Amino acid sequence: MTIDSEVDTLCRVPLFKGIDAKKLRLLAFISERTCFRSGEHLCSQGERGDSAFIILKGEADVVVTTESGEQVVAQVGANDIVGEIAILCDVPRTASLVAVSDMDVLTISKESFLKLLKEFPEMALEVMRALAQRLEKTTRDLSTATAILADQAAG
Amino acid sequence: MESSLFRFIWNYSKRQQVVIMLITTLSFPLLYIMLELPKLIVNDAIQGKSFPRNVAGFDLDQIPYLLVLCFAFLGLVILNNGVKYTLNVYKGLTGERMLRRLRYELFQRVLRFRLPQFRRVSSSEIIPMITSEVEDLGGFIGDAIAVPAFQGGTLLVYLSFIFVQDPLLGLAAVALYPVQGYLIPKLQRRVVVLARQRVRNVRSIADRVGEGINGVNEIHANDTSAWHLADLSNRLHTNFTIRYEIFKRKYMIKFINNLINQLTPFFFYSIGGYLVIQGNISFGALVAVLAAYKDLAGPWKELLAYYQTQADCSVKYQTVIENFDLPDLYPLERLTSDEVVKLAGPLAMTSVSFSEGGGRPEAQAVTMEVPLGAHCAVVGDDRSGRSEVLLLAAGLLTPDSGRVEIGGRNIDALAAATLGRLIGYVASGAHIFSGTLRDNLYYGLRHRPVTVAEAVEGALPDIAYRRTEAEVTSNSPFDVSAEWEDYRAAGAVDRETLEQSAIDVLSKVGLDDDVYRMGLQARLDGHAALKDRMLGLRAAIGERVKSDPKLGDLVELWDIDRFNRSASVAENLLFGLPADPSVSIGQIPQNERFIAFLKQSGLHPELVSIGRKTAETMVELFGSLSAESSLQESFSFIGSDQMPDVERILRKGASGDGELPDADARLLIGIALKIVPAKHRLGVVDEEVEAKIVQARKAFHERVGTASGKFVLFDRGAWVTPLSIEDNLIFGKPRGDRRDARERIEFFIGKMVDEMELREPILKAGLDYNVGVAGSRLTGSQREKVALARALLKKPYILIVDGPASGANTHDRTLRDAIRDAMEGRTLLFGCDDPQVGSEFEFSVTLNNGRVEDLNAPQWPRIEEAEPLTQGSLQ
Repeated sequence: MTIDSEVDTLCRVPLFKGIDAKKLRLLAFISERTCFRSGEHLCSQGERGDSAFIILKGEADVVVTTESGEQVVAQVGANDIVGEIAILCDVPRTASLVAVSDMDVLTISKESFLKLLKEFPEMALEVMRALAQRLEKTTRDLSTATAILADQAAG
Repeated sequence: MESSLFRFIWNYSKRQQVVIMLITTLSFPLLYIMLELPKLIVNDAIQGKSFPRNVAGFDLDQIPYLLVLCFAFLGLVILNNGVKYTLNVYKGLTGERMLRRLRYELFQRVLRFRLPQFRRVSSSEIIPMITSEVEDLGGFIGDAIAVPAFQGGTLLVYLSFIFVQDPLLGLAAVALYPVQGYLIPKLQRRVVVLARQRVRNVRSIADRVGEGINGVNEIHANDTSAWHLADLSNRLHTNFTIRYEIFKRKYMIKFINNLINQLTPFFFYSIGGYLVIQGNISFGALVAVLAAYKDLAGPWKELLAYYQTQADCSVKYQTVIENFDLPDLYPLERLTSDEVVKLAGPLAMTSVSFSEGGGRPEAQAVTMEVPLGAHCAVVGDDRSGRSEVLLLAAGLLTPDSGRVEIGGRNIDALAAATLGRLIGYVASGAHIFSGTLRDNLYYGLRHRPVTVAEAVEGALPDIAYRRTEAEVTSNSPFDVSAEWEDYRAAGAVDRETLEQSAIDVLSKVGLDDDVYRMGLQARLDGHAALKDRMLGLRAAIGERVKSDPKLGDLVELWDIDRFNRSASVAENLLFGLPADPSVSIGQIPQNERFIAFLKQSGLHPELVSIGRKTAETMVELFGSLSAESSLQESFSFIGSDQMPDVERILRKGASGDGELPDADARLLIGIALKIVPAKHRLGVVDEEVEAKIVQARKAFHERVGTASGKFVLFDRGAWVTPLSIEDNLIFGKPRGDRRDARERIEFFIGKMVDEMELREPILKAGLDYNVGVAGSRLTGSQREKVALARALLKKPYILIVDGPASGANTHDRTLRDAIRDAMEGRTLLFGCDDPQVGSEFEFSVTLNNGRVEDLNAPQWPRIEEAEPLTQGSLQ
């Protein structure tokens, strides 16, 4: 478990795809590597988000607590980055992350991540691109969903 | 205070001045004999005839006679210098004692200033007055009377000699004295005026520098450093011109003096020569007069120098004194009186008015009464005069008119002994003193020493010496190292119970959890029995960590046979720590024994290479960052001050291998030692290295160990002094790769501590927490609570709170309830600006623009006297 092995993982994270290994090494070094046991919370819904998680190993459930109870809305695993929204804009965590197996996670604090973006604008651009793609996908999904809903309403 | 320096000198040191005069007088015959003796030796012993001579009943030949005279001369030289030495020491002693007396008096006067005065003076002006400005007076005081008396006397003797030789020549000699007597004081007067300006100017500079330091955040935040520099530059220019003017005049005085002194011989040669030629006086007489005149120059110069110093010192004295000789000082008895008057009955204000002018809030004809034992809110905003009314009630301000009475006694006439011991006053921003938390809590009990200082072996003469010196200078007779805590005032009987009371008060104001955490971070010194109990707790914690996998997942315990990946390489290698907690890990390689051990055990090259690899990685990682990035500061473990050295070492390493200089090797080893493998993940500490380090550990214990006293080793059965209590209890490291491991283990320790009833000793250890300069290591709310706890600990008869705990939030509400609970049955005045908060109190006074707007005073059982208070000084 060295930062070199972590860099291999980071390269596979879509968000960091275009960024050179040297900068990823720095990202790895200023992140905290933590392990979580099955059942432990990486973060809890509603709390202030101060870090993003890059999953190196293991899986976690994304759990949303609603009035009707807890609901698993997605599952994340190795090479996924989660919680990055919280470190870009000041919003409370929208969901809890619960480990379903033993996990190795890189935790990067909001402060360090923003400093890094400031240092390497191309990295900021990459992040922006990834977010824009996600937005584009979300928008497409939304319009599809709206269309389906409209169809249903009409039909 | 004495308005002039001479009056001050005469009043407090006339006896010493007389002694100085006497010793000086005594030294004159000695000096005379010493001048005579060489003549006798030359004329009588060497060139003389008719031996043997009879000296004190002995017949002496020439050689023995010469020897006797020479030894007599030698003896006189020693005696004369001895007298001079004694005289100088005595003068110095007198001067220093007077200086001490003056400084003490000045500070005592500062303590007698009334409150409004402190708004007019700044501490950066007062401090130099008491310290540096009066410094020169010490040197002058010893000379103050002796010098003019004797130099003047000598001058007179020489002058009369000249007059006896020839009245006309005598007249010639003094002819120009009136001119000097007219000119020099005239110039000096101007110098005195300038000297006054200089003192004021220097004070204003000190004030500005002080402001610059206190307001440094504002200076940087507003980019006003240029303005401040210009302002200082301007003042420095004034300073320069004043000083320039002063020394121009000083040298002018010197010039006139020298000129006139050398002008007089002109009269001697002309008038004297004429008289000799005319045969009116003998040639011999003229020569004698010339010689005498030459001797005149010495004392004259001394007198002049004295005159200038005297003028300078008098100015300094006066410019200092005028700031302390205020008409409205508190009477001295207010400070010194130890009499505590029993205060019983209601606190009443009768048409109390107070004004400071200048638009500050004031009190206007305030009339109110708070019965004994009632809790009364004083409601009003910042401009309502609320704070003034509360200060008036505490006796800290004196009303312009009207009376503040407690149980019918005018509190303005009461001494601080009563006001300060029976009334508690806490305002927002209360001052926290440098020192420990304990010092601050006990502060309110330190009125007078309650015991004589314990005499350490051999310290008695020192104590006596201190006391006599204090007596002769009218300084405080109290010994600051004695015990000052008035246990009984806090309802305690000894040190232990007082500690208990302090802890009770801390938990009342809700500071106990914070202090418990401070205690966990404290180092335990002494307390062998307590350490034993703590070691028991350590064992219990260790058992639980081993048996409970969940806990085991949070902590890596110290194990002599296993590498601890959550700890630094240094801790792993030493399996211990530097004995001095101020020695950082990077400094360990400065220890020679340690380096010698590394070389012996073969680890030296290994650590150097780890250090080098780490340094390379750091340079690679952080090298491309811009200079202003703070990432390096927070993450790289090579400090920016080490960076140039590291880069140089790496460059040299790249350009071909030479022998690495010793200092560079130590630097690299220092870097290697800081690595915490679980945290830094640089891959430089692999399993092989780990095994080697674990192996070397035992060798280190055998070869270096604790013998040098520089290292303390980890031992499950022994207390590790450089570690905090918490780290001692864990006896391991919270795992670096587990989130919030420390918080979670602390929570567990907290439970164990409670289980084993060790919370209290840890709280007590927390009392020794150093609060920093003016409490800077405490948060604002902690400071406020410490101030409250300090006031509550002395169990005041009346407590006045102005500001703290006055918010509407639950936190303040809880604190407020705790204060009220603690003051049950005693009077409480509580200042707040929220009427809602005020309505919690049965009594309330609402102030607006200094006037009582609303008074809410229900019927109250009239109690004449409170429960007998455990007030030590009362009994």
